[in-house]
Amino acid sequence: MKSNLPSITGMQYVRPNPSRDLSRILNHGWCRVLLTLVMLTGTAQAQAEWSQRGDLSFQTQFFTASSQHSATQSSNVSLSGNAEFNRPFGENGNLTISPFFRVDQHDAERTHVDLREFLYRYSADNWEANVGLGKIFWGVAESSNIVDIINQRDAVEGLDPENKLGQPMINLLLLKDWGEISLFVLPGFRERTFAGKDGRPRGLFVIDTDNAQYESSNEERHVDVAARVSGAVNEWDLGLHVFHGTAREPLLTFPDFAPLYYQITQVGADVQATLESWLLKTELVYRSGDVIKDHAQLVTGLEYSFYSVAETNLDIGVVAEYLYDDRADQADTVFQNDLLIGLRFALNDEQSTEALVGVITDLDGGANVFTAEASRRIGDRFKLTAEAVVWANTKDDLLLSQFANEDYIQLELGYFF
Amino acid sequence: MKNTLSQTLAVTLLFSMSAIALAQTAEEKGLDIAQQVSAQNDGFADSTSSMTMTLINRSGKKSVRRMRARTLEVIGDGDKSMTIFDEPADVKGTASLTYSHATKADEQWLFLPALKRVKRISSKNKTGAFMGSEFAFEDISSQEVDKYTYKYIGEEEVDGIAVHKIEAVPAYKYSGYTRLLNYIDKERLVAVKVEYFDRKNAELKTLTLSDYEHHEGKHWRPGRMEMINAQTGKSTILEFSDYAFATGLKDKDFSSNALKKLR
Repeated sequence: MKSNLPSITGMQYVRPNPSRDLSRILNHGWCRVLLTLVMLTGTAQAQAEWSQRGDLSFQTQFFTASSQHSATQSSNVSLSGNAEFNRPFGENGNLTISPFFRVDQHDAERTHVDLREFLYRYSADNWEANVGLGKIFWGVAESSNIVDIINQRDAVEGLDPENKLGQPMINLLLLKDWGEISLFVLPGFRERTFAGKDGRPRGLFVIDTDNAQYESSNEERHVDVAARVSGAVNEWDLGLHVFHGTAREPLLTFPDFAPLYYQITQVGADVQATLESWLLKTELVYRSGDVIKDHAQLVTGLEYSFYSVAETNLDIGVVAEYLYDDRADQADTVFQNDLLIGLRFALNDEQSTEALVGVITDLDGGANVFTAEASRRIGDRFKLTAEAVVWANTKDDLLLSQFANEDYIQLELGYFF
Repeated sequence: MKNTLSQTLAVTLLFSMSAIALAQTAEEKGLDIAQQVSAQNDGFADSTSSMTMTLINRSGKKSVRRMRARTLEVIGDGDKSMTIFDEPADVKGTASLTYSHATKADEQWLFLPALKRVKRISSKNKTGAFMGSEFAFEDISSQEVDKYTYKYIGEEEVDGIAVHKIEAVPAYKYSGYTRLLNYIDKERLVAVKVEYFDRKNAELKTLTLSDYEHHEGKHWRPGRMEMINAQTGKSTILEFSDYAFATGLKDKDFSSNALKKLR
């Protein structure tokens, strides 16, 4: 019987073998059929118009201290590309293809490709079907979206949970006057990516992604199911969901640090009230399973905005969110009793200059994670983004102390098309 | 019989209206004209259009934004509208959905294409700059009669056009203006010029509306709007093209799911 170490959700960086992953996806029987269909129809309707958007971005990172682990570089460069191609497909059909790549100077795990989307949509009057690789967002909170369970995180990309791997799905959407009912069959699981032995920032131990273990005997072929009901009534936006299948964040085996993907049933809700300058937001989930202790997680908070401060175009938003996990120290997340305080600045100028500063404080141990991010458009096609992350007061925190020497500054210049 | 009756009714109405007009106060006359301006826009069902917005700074440097809009007329309430951005490239695919209301707060959602996230946002921000331009959100939001109180000032000429000059005071307490001066073309019943006064009642901006075209035989729409900020020297030109009316858009084309699918 292997004992489990808590994984460092939110603080880890991902990455199993990318090319293997992609070929695995493309070899899914139905994906092959879709691909063939696309190529056939593509040649038949070559005149149909593609629309596209995306970016090509050069990123450089500077680490302010020597690491406590095997990756010793103090700087890193990488190049990434995101694109989304879209075209109508017959009268009611539509196809989206969103490839992604990154080439990284040091981390072989971070050099990877993915298909974020390869999704065919059929739209009827009161329903819609989506088949292929898709990307779905659920949630309302700013600090962490605990209800957002459909896609695996592409955690090797960075701390931002918004980097996601394309998820194989068959989705049926029923459109109602009050909102929608969304039903999912998810055939095929994507393993989380983690920083490799030469990757920074990361924790002390390299995650052995080549030896992932599963609770289910079907392993990554386990078919997950999910449903969500969502809608808006006046100032309220509400979503209720249920998920049954493989949890997206693994436990880690000891002493190998291999990911262990376990089965869960999750029910949850996300609610936002929009009251003039106040936004009140709550996400709540309850998870049960055989490997984990049944537990609840909560993110709740508010956002207040000051508009046109001092008769200028400056807007300032204040965000405060509380994160809770009722397993306390047993939690496989760093957010078991934490508070996020953030400030958002938008200059609303010609270059859309924006900045976001925040600090997450562990109310039990006192550890802090400081983050700052600023961006500004340059000309019509470029955007410069600067980011800094500092881990502080972590000495009493088993998980966060691994990042004590991983503080970094990151600059990214993106070309957009 | 029917004709005779409706004719009689029309004649009676005409007389009673002029009788009212005679007894009108400046406030009543201002409101009356505002209602007529609003009425000439009624019954459009839905519309789509393309917009090019050119921002010009003090030294004359220009930057361009492009977007497309669709609007659904809602009888008895504010309209529903969607805007999708095509330029600048870093916001391409970003789209907004607004349910405007005459008396209560608007409802507003934003679609962020990179995250596939639809975000409900506060609609209280009326005074902020739209995309860094000289247009505030309240300048370009659905113009409902009830959003202002009116006072008729007099008659004037603007660029050779005979106009009604009407003062409008925002009813919304968070407006960035103390008052607006509307110059309404007497013949076509459309605004050709608007002057905005800031919270200190100092002249702030002047909007000139031109290149009006008559659509569907009933609706006048400007082809060009130029906003000049007297305090900063900056200006923004908004040009409209590809107007289409009654295209068959329905309520469901203005849902958060439709917002995700807009290209």
